Amino acid sequence: MRQVAIVGGGHTKFGVRKATWKELVQEAGKATFASVRNLTPRMVDSLFVGAAEPERFAFQSHVAPLAAEQLGITPTRVLQRHELACASGQSAIRAAWMSIAMGLSDVAMVVGVEKMNIPNLPELQSSMACVLDREWDGVHGASAPPFFALCAQRHMHEYGTTREHLTEVRLKAGRFAATNPNAHFAKTFTKEQVEKSVEISPPLRLLDCSGITDGAAGLILTSAERAREFTDTPMYIHGTGQASQGHNLSNMESLTTWTPLKWAAKEAYRSAGIRSRDIDFAEVHDCFTISEIIVTEDLGFCEKGKGGAHIASGQTDIGGRPVVNTRGGLLGMGHPLGATGVSQAVEILWQFQKKVPPKRQVEGDLALAHNLSGSANAHSILIYGRRPK
Amino acid sequence: MSPTPTGPVAVFRESLAPRGQIDVPYLLDFYPLQSEEHTRIHPFFKHLREGRFTTTRCKACGELLWQPRAVCSKCLSEDLEWVELPTEGTVYAFTAMVRGPPLGMEADIPFVIALVDLDTQWRPLRLLTRIDGVQAGEMRIGDKVRLKIINLADGRVFYRFTGQAGNAGQGTKR
Repeated sequence: MRQVAIVGGGHTKFGVRKATWKELVQEAGKATFASVRNLTPRMVDSLFVGAAEPERFAFQSHVAPLAAEQLGITPTRVLQRHELACASGQSAIRAAWMSIAMGLSDVAMVVGVEKMNIPNLPELQSSMACVLDREWDGVHGASAPPFFALCAQRHMHEYGTTREHLTEVRLKAGRFAATNPNAHFAKTFTKEQVEKSVEISPPLRLLDCSGITDGAAGLILTSAERAREFTDTPMYIHGTGQASQGHNLSNMESLTTWTPLKWAAKEAYRSAGIRSRDIDFAEVHDCFTISEIIVTEDLGFCEKGKGGAHIASGQTDIGGRPVVNTRGGLLGMGHPLGATGVSQAVEILWQFQKKVPPKRQVEGDLALAHNLSGSANAHSILIYGRRPK
Repeated sequence: MSPTPTGPVAVFRESLAPRGQIDVPYLLDFYPLQSEEHTRIHPFFKHLREGRFTTTRCKACGELLWQPRAVCSKCLSEDLEWVELPTEGTVYAFTAMVRGPPLGMEADIPFVIALVDLDTQWRPLRLLTRIDGVQAGEMRIGDKVRLKIINLADGRVFYRFTGQAGNAGQGTKR
């Protein structure tokens, strides 16, 4: 297998964008090509598009060739669209990695994109609810906020996690997002603002939830041998893991320990030849405040049940280790489903390249990116290195 | 990017009537299609109409399956039987849909959503359900809830559970 490098990354502004799905793809493409040298769209041989629900949010199917057209790419090797709900972007990166590693692709582009803001909010909420098992879970009105609220209630019940712990996750996201001009919510919040924001699904309030956000991000991947044609500062894929257990909520082993996350983490660490304590910084899937608490535990960054206290004590903030979600997290950035995993990779690349504002710059050689999808029944992890493996 | 004015050139115009309100169609209203022509698990809905809450159990390996299935997920047998489930359960976790309902549920908010444990003779079964008759603020983990059958205007059926304030739970409030 060939070693795979990421040589450039581009990012649109995330937010309620006055732009269509196609225009977001165009913007991400322009930014991505601007981040590398010696590369024009026609030189890209493969395209991997992470897009969760264009059929619902943009009423558009067959989006991989459509995206290629928008980007000016004429793929001659591989052309794929990836749907894994909230992890669609990372799914596309993993596929590009596989294709380059096995020698099928030489220069691949990944674009993650979602246009979520549509005129009718209940229509959007229906589309989000059908990420769950529509006939048996969605039919009861369950969508992401109620599901993660159930997890939060059980985590509070079993481990003594508190409202203040949830709030601390949001405050940290705001501190980082305030340094990120691409963030949907590029500002800090007070404890009172978080705890008095409107109730969505108790115990979760509006500021416990990531936003309904439009945005896109892109990456260029190639083999490690060719990386320096395109940049002096590539990053390398060291390992990866992915696992799933059940889909209907009845078939999840636990709401508070995400078993498939533990499986995916074990495989990611094994394939990278590292342990959790070797990770210097991480981008994890804080779609809700409670998610970051559970993910921090199940990735092995702290003891089980202590995620809330760990985050509240500042150990995942600048000065701690691993620092978590310097980009601003899904909470601060917003969560355009297909774009999120790609945006996380761009943040890690820019951290390694020392291209982020000094306030959120961290040191380190190894970083982890995590996405969950649906009702936390699938988990995807990539481990990135500043140096070749 | 405004086009340059071209002067009084004749163009064809026609005004179209505004598009009417579209009713939520099948497959966007969340309730499954239930008749024999649409699904192999149509007996579930027939039983529900009769007041019986059932699921499939594999006769080959004995696994109790939820949701009802056509093929056993444990041993892949299609030799399944219909078995009765308890109609009373215990709340394992609960929340409410306060804001952000899907289409067709806007008038119902706030409503309670819970995971309910059913104590079957084969294995514990935990399922997600809407809970009627009680507000989230009145509930505790451990509350008892009972099956409720919903009749849809088009002849389809579904289930929810129903609870009442302060009935026996000793666990965490919301």
